[in-house]
Amino acid sequence: MTNLRDDEFMERIADAVELSESALAPADLKARLYSALVRQQSRTGRLMSLGETHAHGHQLCVFEQLVRIAPVGETMKSLNICRVCHARVLAEHMENAPIFWSGCPYVEFKKS
Amino acid sequence: MHRLEQQALGQPQTVSLQADEDLVLVQAVLRRDRKATAEFVSRYSGHIYSYVRSRLAPRYEQVEDLVQEIFLSAWKSLRRYRASGSLHAWVMGIARHKVEDYYRERLRAPESIEDSELDPDTSTYVSTIHQVLEQDQVRKNTQRVLSALPEPYRLALIWRYWEKASAREMAIKTGKTEKAIERLLARARAEFRERWNHDQSS
Repeated sequence: MTNLRDDEFMERIADAVELSESALAPADLKARLYSALVRQQSRTGRLMSLGETHAHGHQLCVFEQLVRIAPVGETMKSLNICRVCHARVLAEHMENAPIFWSGCPYVEFKKS
Repeated sequence: MHRLEQQALGQPQTVSLQADEDLVLVQAVLRRDRKATAEFVSRYSGHIYSYVRSRLAPRYEQVEDLVQEIFLSAWKSLRRYRASGSLHAWVMGIARHKVEDYYRERLRAPESIEDSELDPDTSTYVSTIHQVLEQDQVRKNTQRVLSALPEPYRLALIWRYWEKASAREMAIKTGKTEKAIERLLARARAEFRERWNHDQSS
């Protein structure tokens, strides 16, 4: 009987209380999530080239633009160049990283 | 179903628009479009982070690892997304499974409740839920009491009452007997209630 009452008590509490918190995901976490996903994508296949990405209407950052217009093959243009970018390193380790240029996903994570 | 047919049948167009948008995003991520992948992270990281935090509170140190696991798992199974529901619901489904895996791992370990984790105060039951109707107060009390419980108790209660798992399901997933889970739940409920009542009386 006691257990039944406790059970009922818990049912009522759970019905009355939503445990969700409205916490914003930290920007450095988003940066690490993005890096992990792109790393995983490039391990298991070829990333969409920067030319194709641009053709799909996405904005590229200044470094990606350089690679896109450089006289190199599609394989080079499909590399995950963020891997060697200081913006990624800063964004993965700082909540408000000092990176500002447009078209960089790591900069966008600070805003969203 | 074509959008025009839906309109003819009086179904809300917004549902279809959302489904289209979800599908476009999924296809782009599957093509390994890095900008779409960034959009995927931006769109769902907040919801998943909040959800995982609320389910692991107050042990926040595992939250970020679990969120990352959820995203990687979503990427691995993205081909199986069929747009029968929203992408948000699909991703949250993966999050729920991962949280459940976390509970399972934690509860599978031999149960050891540190003496220091238990409050020796055994004040009697002095109030009922009816006496504490103020919603916000109930929520705060619940969160405070849950946070103060030993981890196995807290996880068992959240899994059972907020995630709506049955004792049988919990037993199967943790490799324990149903009886053992019932006993764990009974102790957890009693402890929760005791602390709850103590909160009310103090």
